[in-house]
Amino acid sequence: MNLIIAAAAGGFSETLHDTAETFGWNWQLFLSQVISFVIVALLLRRFAYKPILAVLEERRRKIEEGQLNAEKIKKELAEAEKRYQEIIAKADADAQKMIDEARESAAHLSERKQQEAIAAAEQILAKAREASAIEHERTMESLKRELGRLVVDTTAKVAGKVLTPEDQQRLQEEAARQLAG
Amino acid sequence: MLVYGIALATPAVAAETEPAVSLKPIPIFEIGKFAITNSMLVTWIVAAGIIVFAQIATQNIKPIPSGIQNFWEWLVGGLYNFLEGIIGRELVRKTFWFFATIFIFILFVNWFGLIPGVGTIGWGHHDPNTGLFHVDQPLLRGGNADLNMTTAMAAIFFVLWLVWALQAQGVGGFLKHLFAPKGETTGVLKVLMAVIFFMVGWLEVISILFRPISLSFRLYGNIYAGESILEAMATMVPLWLAWLPPIPFYFMEILVGVVQALVFMLLTAVFTMLIAQHDHGPEHAPV
Repeated sequence: MNLIIAAAAGGFSETLHDTAETFGWNWQLFLSQVISFVIVALLLRRFAYKPILAVLEERRRKIEEGQLNAEKIKKELAEAEKRYQEIIAKADADAQKMIDEARESAAHLSERKQQEAIAAAEQILAKAREASAIEHERTMESLKRELGRLVVDTTAKVAGKVLTPEDQQRLQEEAARQLAG
Repeated sequence: MLVYGIALATPAVAAETEPAVSLKPIPIFEIGKFAITNSMLVTWIVAAGIIVFAQIATQNIKPIPSGIQNFWEWLVGGLYNFLEGIIGRELVRKTFWFFATIFIFILFVNWFGLIPGVGTIGWGHHDPNTGLFHVDQPLLRGGNADLNMTTAMAAIFFVLWLVWALQAQGVGGFLKHLFAPKGETTGVLKVLMAVIFFMVGWLEVISILFRPISLSFRLYGNIYAGESILEAMATMVPLWLAWLPPIPFYFMEILVGVVQALVFMLLTAVFTMLIAQHDHGPEHAPV
């Protein structure tokens, strides 16, 4: 059994050796290529990947931040818009209320002024009536006096006598009564 | 005899028993006892190019990217998001540097191998039978058409995979993940399931041990095959028309370059995800 394994191992070793010989593989060249590749990989890792990945990460972070900020700004804008609409609606309501109050106030004022004007007008009319009545009374008195005097004068001229003060008084009173009647 | 020159492919004519494109990298010079191969040179050129490019791209980083920074951000950011979608946020944070390097490095090494001159400029000899110059030692060779390179990447992944697995699961969790029975069973069935899962665990261990081999040979095979196809296409027509047949295959190889880089990265990422994820219950347990 051991002989078979040894033979197999020997055969395997020979095959490996032949294969390496055919393809020009040897430890020296192999290790040289290992070192070359390791150097390239480490240099690229240090000088080529790290800075670029850092930049990409930074950019990704900035974009993420930007998106978050944009989202935040959008939300704030929506809130501001909502607040603006609320303020506008409140201002509209306040303005409407003020207009209504002003209208009401104006109506009241107008009513009061109208009443005052009516009252003033009535007062003027009353005064005018009173003045007219006084004037009328005065005119009537004057007219009575004048008429009494005319009646007395006419009677004296018609009768051809001088009328006594009593006659004059009586005639004037008679004329005034007739005029009043 | 070392002759420097430019040759349109002729190896198939020159050597019928040898493959048109050599299976192995060729040493072009030595530093002491250390041989520098043509594929190693390509690997270094591409590595230096990527590092310089990345350095320029990240030298003066601006908040609003433009030019090279924009391209590098697109590449790194795209890979990061792509991997994050597959292996998850936590794991990608820890492992991204490796998977990104795997993809970028393999991709540009593959594409570099398609530049005209790679594999056709070098040292060679004049073939008196054909009257053409034959390149024996190309100055440059596709980096991933060298098994040393692909096994190096696969081996690094294997070590990192083990480290990440132990970090995620602990030694006990790691062994449990491999050998412990999954699901809710009782009595005799539980014992039976324990035996079965223990045996399946060994199959899993073998499968894990073979991953570096399959990863490295898949990439090597595809890239080597691509180079061979381009070589074959150029030699199947008269010399004056040799530029035409490879053209569609160049486009295919550009695609193969991307696909192979993606396959290597995805497989390594998925292997890592499978071992690093925690079992939440029978429905999530790997079969």
